[in-house]
Amino acid sequence: MKSACAARTRTIGAASVIELSGEVDGSAAETLTSAYQRATADGPARTIVLDFAAVDYINSTGIALIVSVLARARAERRAVAACGLSPHYREIFDITRLSDFIELYPDLDDVVSRLTGPAG
Amino acid sequence: MTGSAASQPRRLAAFAVPSEPGNERLALAMVAEAVTGRGLTAARLERLKTAVAEAAMNAIEHGNHNQVEVPVEVEVLQSGTEIVVGISDSGGAAADASAEEPDLAEKLEGRQNPRGWGLFLIRNMVDALDVTTEGARHTVWLTMHTAASGAEGAGQ
Repeated sequence: MKSACAARTRTIGAASVIELSGEVDGSAAETLTSAYQRATADGPARTIVLDFAAVDYINSTGIALIVSVLARARAERRAVAACGLSPHYREIFDITRLSDFIELYPDLDDVVSRLTGPAG
Repeated sequence: MTGSAASQPRRLAAFAVPSEPGNERLALAMVAEAVTGRGLTAARLERLKTAVAEAAMNAIEHGNHNQVEVPVEVEVLQSGTEIVVGISDSGGAAADASAEEPDLAEKLEGRQNPRGWGLFLIRNMVDALDVTTEGARHTVWLTMHTAASGAEGAGQ
């Protein structure tokens, strides 16, 4: 099945941002894995931010991919944050307890200001 | 199914999709169109859409084993203040193989497979989940109360 998910990575301050768009389902595995590798290519531990603002669909296999990214990041001692989730997907992050392990922010500006601010 | 015996269910839609990965999105869209304007709030419609997509994906993968020529059949009913969606495959009782309850901490430690969220999501999205099996026909029934029933917080 062709992936309907795209990812762009960029570095903002101490954070590596993975901007996702389209559909996060099982077909997004390669896209997400490649994006994570690009986001962490520089080596030093940093926060990985998953930006879901342009994502219109996440299913259970997409949740599994996010779990895998989180597990890998934790093993590498990197924090994971997320932003841009719709209220529905934020609820799913709560139900699955992903929000216990991933700090959630309303949008990218909010997370960047938190991570790159004077205290960040 | 928890439909009220007092009111005759009204069929809002009935259709079939081939058992091909990705067709759960087609089922989701057609159910959403069928129930639009039937009393579900936007938030509860999103919940139903997620449940339908997950149930259809299970039917395609685990019920019909991705055999394109074996359809997944979908029926959308309204009975009083209930919207009921039936999603049928040909997997019989085997399609009911109980999944391990997902535990995120266990998954993060590698003690559980990262997958296995489908049934968990369905259960948490709808007000009632029922399963019937008649021979090979295996049907998952998803029930959502409409806003008129005042059940906005149900299913948590």
